[in-house]
Parts: sequence; C-alpha cells; structure tokens
Amino acid sequence: MRPIHAALAGALLLSGLSTARAATEIEFWHAMSGALGERVDEIVKKFNDSQKDYVVKAIAKGTYDEVLNGTIAAYRAKRQPEIVQSNERSFLTMVNSGAIIPTADLMAEQNYKIDWSNFIKPVVGYYAMNGKLQAMPFNSSTPILFYNRDHFKAAGFDKPGATWQELEPQLDAIKAKGVSKCAMVLPGDYEWSFLENYSAVNDLPYATKRNGMDGLDTSFVFNKGKLVGQVERMKRLVSSGVMQIAGQGVVPVQLFTSGECSTIIASTAAHAAVVAAAKFDWSATELPYEQGVTPKNSVIGGAALWTLKGHTPEKYKAVAAFYNFLAQTDTQVWWHQVTGYVPVTVAAYEAAKAQGYYDKSPTRAIAVVQLMRGTPSDNSLGFRIGNSNQINVAIMEEVSAAFLGRKPVQQALDDAANRGNEALRRYEQLNAGKK
Amino acid sequence: MNERTPVLDLVCHAILVLGAAIVCLPVYFVFVIGSQSQQEIMQVPLSWLPGDQFLANVQTVLNNAKFGRLLLNSFVVACGITFGKLAVSLIAAFAVTYFRFPFRLTAFWLIFMSLMLPIEVRIVPTYESAANVALPLNILGGWLSWQVLVDLDWNLVNTYSGLILPLIASATATFLFRQFFLTVPDELCEAARIDGASPWQFFRLILLPLSRSNIVALAIILFLMGWNQYLWPLLLTTDPDMATAVIGLKKLMPQSDSLPTWHVLMNAALLTMLPPTIVILLLQRWFVKGLVDSGK
Amino acid sequence: MMGSQAESGLKRAHFSGSWLPFWLLAPQLFILMLFFFIPSVRALLQAFQLTDPFGATTQWVGFQNFERLFRSGVYWSSAQVTMLFTIAQNVLTLSVALVLAFATNHIVRGRGAYRTILLLPYAIAPAIAGIMLAFLFNPRVGPVAHMLQGLGFDWDPNRHSGHALALIVMAASWKHICYNYIFLAAALLSVPQSILESAYLDGAGPIQRFLRISLPMISPTLFFLVVINFVYGLFETFAIVDATTRGGPAGSTSILVYKVYQDGFVTLDLGSSAAQSVVLMTLALALTFAQFRFIERRVNYSV
Repeated sequence: MRPIHAALAGALLLSGLSTARAATEIEFWHAMSGALGERVDEIVKKFNDSQKDYVVKAIAKGTYDEVLNGTIAAYRAKRQPEIVQSNERSFLTMVNSGAIIPTADLMAEQNYKIDWSNFIKPVVGYYAMNGKLQAMPFNSSTPILFYNRDHFKAAGFDKPGATWQELEPQLDAIKAKGVSKCAMVLPGDYEWSFLENYSAVNDLPYATKRNGMDGLDTSFVFNKGKLVGQVERMKRLVSSGVMQIAGQGVVPVQLFTSGECSTIIASTAAHAAVVAAAKFDWSATELPYEQGVTPKNSVIGGAALWTLKGHTPEKYKAVAAFYNFLAQTDTQVWWHQVTGYVPVTVAAYEAAKAQGYYDKSPTRAIAVVQLMRGTPSDNSLGFRIGNSNQINVAIMEEVSAAFLGRKPVQQALDDAANRGNEALRRYEQLNAGKK
Repeated sequence: MNERTPVLDLVCHAILVLGAAIVCLPVYFVFVIGSQSQQEIMQVPLSWLPGDQFLANVQTVLNNAKFGRLLLNSFVVACGITFGKLAVSLIAAFAVTYFRFPFRLTAFWLIFMSLMLPIEVRIVPTYESAANVALPLNILGGWLSWQVLVDLDWNLVNTYSGLILPLIASATATFLFRQFFLTVPDELCEAARIDGASPWQFFRLILLPLSRSNIVALAIILFLMGWNQYLWPLLLTTDPDMATAVIGLKKLMPQSDSLPTWHVLMNAALLTMLPPTIVILLLQRWFVKGLVDSGK
Repeated sequence: MMGSQAESGLKRAHFSGSWLPFWLLAPQLFILMLFFFIPSVRALLQAFQLTDPFGATTQWVGFQNFERLFRSGVYWSSAQVTMLFTIAQNVLTLSVALVLAFATNHIVRGRGAYRTILLLPYAIAPAIAGIMLAFLFNPRVGPVAHMLQGLGFDWDPNRHSGHALALIVMAASWKHICYNYIFLAAALLSVPQSILESAYLDGAGPIQRFLRISLPMISPTLFFLVVINFVYGLFETFAIVDATTRGGPAGSTSILVYKVYQDGFVTLDLGSSAAQSVVLMTLALALTFAQFRFIERRVNYSV
C-alpha cells in the first residue's frame, strides 16, 4: 500500500470510529458580532467541554434582521437550525410563526425541572405567554444612566438628580456653565430607553389591554398621557443643544467615553465600552423618573433563544441540555460579568453579590436592581405588540419630525399612534383567532 | 501627433490628484483607524494621522479569524462570478445584436428586467430556489402528480456553485456588450461573411479581440463586486469553511452597546482589500488602445 | 457611415435563420429563470397578500396593499425625494467621472497609477465604506464635517433634511464614480487614433477634440452609463442610505428603494414591500423604455 493510500484508509477508519460515538450536533444561529461574538463562542465551548454527548455549533449570521431573514428562508426550505437568537421585538412574530417549540414545553418533555419563579420577573414577563416561557432568555439588558462625575462636580453637583425635574436643570447648567458642549447624547434606540422604559418606570399605559398582553385587539394610548410631556422635554433639550443627536457613523456611547457628552442613557451592556475607554471619573445610576412617582421596574431589551420545529428528538435533547446549562447560576454569573448583560435569575444575582462582584463594580448592580424594583404592574411587565418593527419605524419617524419642528409634539404622537394602530389592526386581521 | 500642452497637462494632473485624494479619503481613514489603539479610536475628534498599532492590529485580526480560508473562498467565488458573467453575457449580447430571430427584443428586455429587484427583497424565495434547484420541477411534478419530479432535490447550500450561479446572470454586462457590439463597423461582419466565416468564428476571431478593453474594465468591476458580495454568502453558508472574507469582516463589526473595536475591523477591512487591489493593478495593464479603426 | 438601423439594437449586417441565437441566450435566460424570475414572481405575488413571514398564514387581500401605499402621504413624498436623488446622483457621478476620464486619457505619464488609485474605493467592502462615509460626515466626530464647520457652514444632516439629501447623493455617487470612470476610460481608448489625428491636423486642441470627436464617439457608453446610473440610483442605493442617514431625519431621505428594503427585510411588512417593488419596477421600466426610445436615437453607433 502506498503511503497516501494508507493515510487515506487511516483517515477513513478514524472518521468511521468517530461517527460511531459521535455526539449529537446542533446549530445555533446568532447575531452577536465583535467582542460579544467571542463571548458566545466561549459560552458554547464551555458547554461543549462540559459533557460528551452534545455539540453546539455557534454560527454568526449577521445582524438580528439578517438572522431572522436567514431563519425564515431556511425554515421555508426546511433547512432551519435548532436554535436561533431573535430580539425581543420579534416576540409575536416568532410565537405566531408556527415554527417554534415553546421553551417551557421542551424542557418539560426532556424532564428538566427549571424553577421559572427564580427568573427575574420582567424577563419572564416579556418572554412568557399563556403562562409558559416561549423562548429561552439569553442576553437581556435594560437602560441606565451613565454620567461623567468630573463634569457634574465642575458644574457644582454631587450626582445626577433622581427625577427628571432635578436632572433637567443640571443638564442645562452643565451646558450653560461651559462644562461640556453636550450634556446628554440621544441614543439611537431612544424609543426603547426614552419612551417605552419611561412608560414602564412611571407606570403609564403605552397601549391598551395591558400593553397588548391581553390580546391582539390592543391600541396605542401613549399619545394621551405624560409621555407627551416627555417628548416635549426631549424636543426642548435637543433644540437647545443640551442633548445632541449622535447620528450615523459613530456609536453614541463613544461620545460619552470621549468626554464630549456628560451623560448617556444606554443599555447596561454599554459597560464594556465605558470601562475600556472612559479616562475620567464616571459612574452610573438608575433611570430618572417623574417627580412624585414611585418608580416601577424598567423593561428589558436584548434577545432570546428560540427552538425551531422539524428536528429529531435526539436534537431536542441536546437543545434542552444547552438551555439547562445556560440557566445554571455559574453560567449566568460568568455571562453577566463578561458581557455586561443582566443575569436572568435571581440566584445568579445573589451569587454575584456574595462573590463581592458589586463591591468591586457597584454600577453593574444598577440594572438588576432596577429590573427587580417593586412588583411589576400592568404597565411595566413588557410589551406585546404585533408588527413591532414597523411600528417602531413609524414612531421614530414621527418623533424626530417633532424634534425638527415639522409638527407639534402632540400631533406627531397622534400620527405615530394612528400609524401604529393601523399596523396593529393589520396584524390582528392576519392572526385572527390567535391570542 | 506631436502636441505639447504643458498647461493642460498640469491641470489634468492636478484634477487627478485632487480626484484621487477625494475618492480615497475614506480608504485613508480605514488605514488611520486600523493603525490606532482602542484608547485612541474612542477619542473625539479622531487624529488625522495614523497610529503605531498597525502591526499589532494585524496580529489581532489574524488570530481572531481564519482569514486564510476565507480569502481563498472569496477568490474562488469572485473568479467564478467574473468568468461566468463574462462568458454568459458576451454570447447573449452577441445573440441579441447579430441575429434576427423572433422574440429578440423580448429576450433583451427580460434580461434587462433582472436589474430591477434587489436580492434583499426576494431573498427568501431566492434562497428556496438555491436550497433546491429542482424546485420548478417539483412544482411541475405537483401539477402533473409525478412523484419522481416532486422528490427531486438538488441542494446548493454551502457549495461554490450556490455562491456563484445566482449572481452570474447580469444584465449590466449584457447591456454593456450590446452597446459595444453596436459600434463595431458592419464592414467587419460583411467581410467575414464573404470570407465564409461562421458566426462563431466571427465572434471568436474578430469580436472578442475587439472587446478587449471593455472586457478588462468589466472584469475588474465584476471581480470587485463578486469579492464584496455579502448578503447572499451570509445566507447561503452555514459551514464556516465556506464563508467569504466579507462575512469574516462583518463578524468583527462591533455591536451597538459592546466595546466598539473599530481598529480591528478597519485593519481587517484593509486586509480584505488587498487581493482585489492586486487584481486591479494586474488587470488595468491590459487596457489597450482601440483596435477599431474605420476612419480610413 | 451608414443610415439608421432598420430594427432597434440589431446590426445591419447580421446573421439569421438558425437556432444558434437561442443557444447563445440559453445559459443567461436559464440562470435568470431559476434564480431571478421564479423567486421574483413568488416575491411579487405577496403584493396581493397579507402574509406571515414564516408562511404560517396567508390571506389574499386584492389591492389592499396598493391602496394603503397610495393613501400614505409618506410614500408620495418619498417618490419626490427619489426623483431628485436619482437625477442629482446621475449628473454628479457622470460629470465627475467624465472629467477624470478625460484627464487620464490626456496625460501620458502615470496613467496606470491613477487608474488603479481611482478604482480603490470600489474595492472596499460596501459595509465598511458605508460606515466610513457616515463617520467622515458625522457632524459631531467626522473630519470632513469638522472641516465644513470650520469654514463656517452649519453642517448637520441629523437636523437639516437638505444636508441629509446632499449626503446620500454624495455617498451614492462616490462609489459609482469609479464604476463610470473605468468604462469611460475604456471607451476613450477605443476612439480611433486616425480620426483624432486628422482633427489635430485641422488645428483642433485637446478639449475641442474631446468635445467634438471623442464624446460623440463614446455616446454608446454614455448611454449605457446613464441607464445604469438610473437603475443604480433607483435600486441599489438602500445600503448606503442605511449606513449614512437611515432614511432620516424624520424620513426625509427615505427613498423608494430604501422603503422597499426596510419594509421587506427589516420590518417584514412583506405585502407592502412587494407592492412597492411592483410600483418601483413599473416606474423604472417606463423610465428605461423612455430612455431607449428618446435618448438612444441620439446615440451614434456608427463609428
């Protein structure tokens, strides 16, 4: 036998052997890139190394939009992966797709006992429907207020006020005293941090039927309450130059870390960037709220893992084992610390606390505490909005028209609500009969 | 011609230098950012001068992603698209300009229409077509209730042909060659026919050599376009060994709230620009003075 | 020189009466059939449907999606911006490319170097190019924006829709200048030397020769570029819009194809996106037909 043939035969033999005791392989499509993509690879490697029966293959498939489109295409061509990561806005799209297996059912079938009551409430609240968890919470975050302590001191303040009524004059003063040209930077996803979370924290209804939790026949009411005042406030801050729009071509948090802007309301996941780049004395605090209000919990953002139909029972065993691994306290504590996302269980928060993590990094606790604050009300549990992305685009368009002074704030919000309601009715028409 | 125009020469050089400076400004900043450290790129305003971290960043990029394999895939795909498109569209343009046959204009307009629906908008059905090329036969089989046809399955997911074929049928190239062929003097074809040349001989011996400059220009453009394809390879590949360089690049793209590692991304962008730049350098030498000369 | 062609787009001296042309067209039409026409028809059918993206539910709704479109004021203003954008982009791209191509053709030394450098922007991955352009023109951090502001110009595409429109025109042209330039450079090379020489002997200077001889002689290429630039502006510019303005501020740069992309790919409003595609395709086909009808007449194919 010539050497090359021997080698070939050897390889065949080896591959034959390895298939004989091959682990079950499952695909996990995700939208994490950059540093976060590396963390996903690590968490998957931890799982793969922790046991011998299953192998998870993590595949980055672009942005959330690209992952979702890729999943739809693959599902229609019957080539879908077992697990796919999708952002919180796509909740109803996924649930009503007929393509998914609810996480609670999957775990029950595979005999994993997971104590869902141990999960942080606004997280389960968002991803549970009909009393059961539909997706596995993965990367969850919530917005908090980061601030430049040097700037506040220079302007004569100790720290940002807890309410908007206290914070607003501080921002004005920072600009007026020439401490910085930009007292706050408007984040790109302000509809989440400034509108939705504002409604939750101040216990205001955003849409009827408990923000859509009670049925698809919900409609928007955000144009009828205090949120109008919030948008008026934003408009005033933008037009006086106190709050600056970052625009495309720069990550808003860069304007904060470079010392250009004194504050930013951003996801707690922004910690990674702030820690790495801010060369000044910075800190963070909870979201500001309206004077006289007992603040409720904020709502989550981020994404969850969905299990797709159409695979063999073997594969689902692997999926369940992976989810079980993700829910472990150790895994959660690690993930929380390396990514800046919040842990999804109370136990993980307690464990991190016991390790003294929050003594070293006190600002990391803010998001968790803010999420666990009080008992979630109908207004703060989350949102269940069909065609959510379409509505989002419409709301942002109308609100920024108000910023530019093209229409009065009230009219802009009325138009946004009307366009949103139209999309809600279309969703109701398509999904008639579903809850 | 022995013309001396020193002033105009100078103006031309000035225009070209200015033009080059403007169009290359973004490329220059890719380089600047790619040579700075994490700390430096987080500062505002950014420096106009490159930093000293270029090689360190190259190291990070090479450790982070298997760019070797990705560059090879990109090269195969870009070459496949270039050669495929050139071949397919040259003969199609030859057909619509040099032959009289029924539905000639219909054929041209059908080809032309393919410019008018971006792949992003038809991505799901296009993926379905590539996931099973026999899909039309399946549908036909469904109508005729022929189970044999329904069961056909020819998958292109995770293959080079899947990455190349759907991007080959380009109306641009066909249109360009149609435009060029229409300018080729009729005398050449008449002479060829008198000499008893077949259409194929005329195409190969006369038309192709005449088209050289256009072929080179198009080959450059097609290679760069093929090289920079993003969405289609992203959707069609799940095997990391079949991914292309641009996909590897996008993986380094920082997410909105995480640490923005622009310096690594821009460094990788330069690296992936290198092969197409070499292709431009090599191919543009093939530009030649026009061979068509009917002004006699 | 010869007379006008008897049949549009057909050589006076042509072949006929065989199956050969069908075989020559077959590869292109076959690939188009598989990967363009079948998927496109399936995508466009959604214009008459209300559908769940995963295909779980589909309802036929007739012209509901079109009615929704035409009722929307946003859509009409988008159509206006699109017209403005497409024309401005076309004029800017072609004129800059022409000047550069003339200059390259005129000079003798360094031609290859200029050609290579001017093509570089086409070699960057579009996603990176988009980020860089957005960055350069960002009113807070962009070097170019700072230069403009230094000159006393209050550049801010986040707040002035005029600036945002200018930005997408520049960004879209930037990349397409390279494309135009290379074909113009190729075409200028094929202008017969003998004609230029006799004009030279008649005393015509380089610019006169360019305007009177070269330009008419490369009119087939110019026509090609005008049509392609229109198609490019109408169909392929959504990525650059997404990178530089996201259609903003307040939807003022949301050109038609950006809406098609946004509704089809981002917000998964497939019905509306398909309806918009149908409208946009009809518009583009009509425009292209008109260009072939009215502009191509002035194109000089007889070298």
